Amino acid sequence: MSHSQTREDGLIRKIKEQFPNDVKEARVIRRSRPEIVVVPEKIREVALFLRDQLGFDHANGVSGVDYNREGRFEIVYHTSSLQNKEMRDLVLAVKESIPRTSPKVTSLTSVWPGVEYFERETFEMFGITFEGHPRLEKLFLTDNWDGPPPLRKEVRFPTD
Amino acid sequence: MSAQKTSQQEDDPLAMLADSINVWVGKLSEIVKKVVDTGPIRSVVNWGRIYSLWPVNITTACCSAEFGAVSGPRHDLERFGVLPLGSLRQSDLIVVEGTITKKMAKRLRMIYDQMAIPRYVIAMGDCAISGGLFHDSYSIVNGAHEFLPVDVYVPGCPPRPEALEQAIIMLQEKIRKSKVYAQG
Amino acid sequence: MAVPEKPAPLAAVESAKTSESGAQTLTVSVGPQHSGSGHMRLIIELDGDIIVDAAPDPGYVHRGIEKICEVRNIIKSIPVIERPAIIDSSNLNHAYIKAIEELQGVEPPPRGKYLRCLLNEMNRIMSHLYWLSIYGVFLGHTTMFMWPLGDRELFIDLAERLTGARITHSYIVPGGVRRDLPQGLAEEAAKRTEYFEKRLDEYDKIFFNNPLFTSRSKGVGVLPKNQAIALGCTGPTLRGSGVDADLRKDEPYAAYSELDFEVPTRNEGDSYSRAVIRMDEMRESCKLIRQIVKEIPPGPIRRKAPIVVPRGEAYSRVESARGECSFYMIGEGGDKPYRVRYITGSYRNMAAIPVLLIGGHMADMPTAWWSVDYWPVEADR
Repeated sequence: MSHSQTREDGLIRKIKEQFPNDVKEARVIRRSRPEIVVVPEKIREVALFLRDQLGFDHANGVSGVDYNREGRFEIVYHTSSLQNKEMRDLVLAVKESIPRTSPKVTSLTSVWPGVEYFERETFEMFGITFEGHPRLEKLFLTDNWDGPPPLRKEVRFPTD
Repeated sequence: MSAQKTSQQEDDPLAMLADSINVWVGKLSEIVKKVVDTGPIRSVVNWGRIYSLWPVNITTACCSAEFGAVSGPRHDLERFGVLPLGSLRQSDLIVVEGTITKKMAKRLRMIYDQMAIPRYVIAMGDCAISGGLFHDSYSIVNGAHEFLPVDVYVPGCPPRPEALEQAIIMLQEKIRKSKVYAQG
Repeated sequence: MAVPEKPAPLAAVESAKTSESGAQTLTVSVGPQHSGSGHMRLIIELDGDIIVDAAPDPGYVHRGIEKICEVRNIIKSIPVIERPAIIDSSNLNHAYIKAIEELQGVEPPPRGKYLRCLLNEMNRIMSHLYWLSIYGVFLGHTTMFMWPLGDRELFIDLAERLTGARITHSYIVPGGVRRDLPQGLAEEAAKRTEYFEKRLDEYDKIFFNNPLFTSRSKGVGVLPKNQAIALGCTGPTLRGSGVDADLRKDEPYAAYSELDFEVPTRNEGDSYSRAVIRMDEMRESCKLIRQIVKEIPPGPIRRKAPIVVPRGEAYSRVESARGECSFYMIGEGGDKPYRVRYITGSYRNMAAIPVLLIGGHMADMPTAWWSVDYWPVEADR
């Protein structure tokens, strides 16, 4: 599929102009799937810019990934726009990496209220603390699992 | 029932009379139980139990879709007398459908304890028998038999409605052959 | 046998609030055992009859599917992936396989795409009918419990003839689909959808135009448009609040770009509009099924695709019956993915439940809650 990527490239250019130092990498994985990597300290400013200036009005999901061989956690916010009809198929991935030994990031519930439950789940599955979250406690695992956060790579399954 | 006797009550004639009535009532209830457990009365009592097995309103996990389909018009479960009506005290059957997580296992045991005897358990689906597809997951209990006394196991993932109907028939056979006070 | 210990009682801290009138609020635990929907608890604070706070307490059916996918081969994960919303399993299956195919760079042949759409639409109808039957029994309309379940069996027969299984099809595999259309299925599908559309008119008469339902659902559980967007709601919950977003039109996949259908939308945002949208979606699905069996191109149904997850990332999403089901998959070579992030429509709509319930009466709770079609097994995964 070799459609033109002008829309994705224009988006990345606008983001990089606004935050020249804080967006470490930006690329287009495939059509309508751009991604940017942001320093964790500036994630809230970038998110507010995306919501207010570029029209990304909701978050599709929050995912935590455990890159244990590189010693870091990565948190990926997928966001998209519902009010701009031409941008409805575009999903922008906003990534931030934090070291595995001190997993703390800023919560984005004040920007996109829908991420509240996703951040709670990432907290209980990986042990990442979201500062500023209104209610950071276990969501699915109360009474279900008492051990270390289960989605970390050191928690192994019997059939692994 | 006076469990603690004070020294005043030991010589109290009313208390001695109450204790001896207790003993007499206890012996009387044993006689009643023996009489009820004989041939014709036992068949009548079991007949009543068999054709009015009311399950608890519980839909644990994915097998509940097939339980719903069995209650529908094509595979009609009501012709066996199975109606999910009423409260826990009025139910005599609990169908554990699907995967049991540790969080739910505690509540399932509470529900089972609240049912009045006689009560029966059907473990529906592979997950309720042994953990099924999710047997190695961190949050599940591998089978309903770990904390409930199961009467009938229905394999399948999910079992076909006809399999569940056969399970009800097997449970009815089991009740037909059992004693009246099998569970106390 | 090991009898588990009793769970801790409801936190007393929550119930020490006082309402504006000065009286203490009552904390009610709705669930986890209730009929029809699967296990989920709502912790509701009541001031008299008005709900002042509602917090969902999910996790009673949490089976750790994301972790299971990391240790199983991608083909062996297909049954695990489709179990969350078992009545709508083909759409979830499709989203998973689409992510793998994006990573592999494989595209199914046209006939395979049409067959995928056929099963997706049949599953959409089956899922909406199950939702409708439970809605009937929640409101005490037991005829509405029986009729949709009976009509659902019509489509389960078709799906069984096509795939071999009643509800857990496991039909969509990397590269295409598993089996071709059997003889006679096309005519049978056309006949059954025509019969079913007449049945939908009968449902309108006994339920949707019934004052017993309209008085209980119009104006109940209103979700304003800007909140629906900000909370990330999706599916009929979003379309009931005036946003005509449907992935089959906005980001067409499989054969949807070649098919002709409409996206029903309503502006009121109450439970009645969400319910009627699902009825209209069933009518559109019937039209789609007839189009597909008429226009399906000949050819192979499956391309060769290896059982491997190449290095890279993919984000794929599909419009399931409850909304957008999305997979974020990271592969590193080998036949098992490195990370599978699985977000379903019900999980995204969970954020809307407190908004719908707060401020309403306790008796409106079943109507408002079930109109979102929150399927606990799907949200917990």
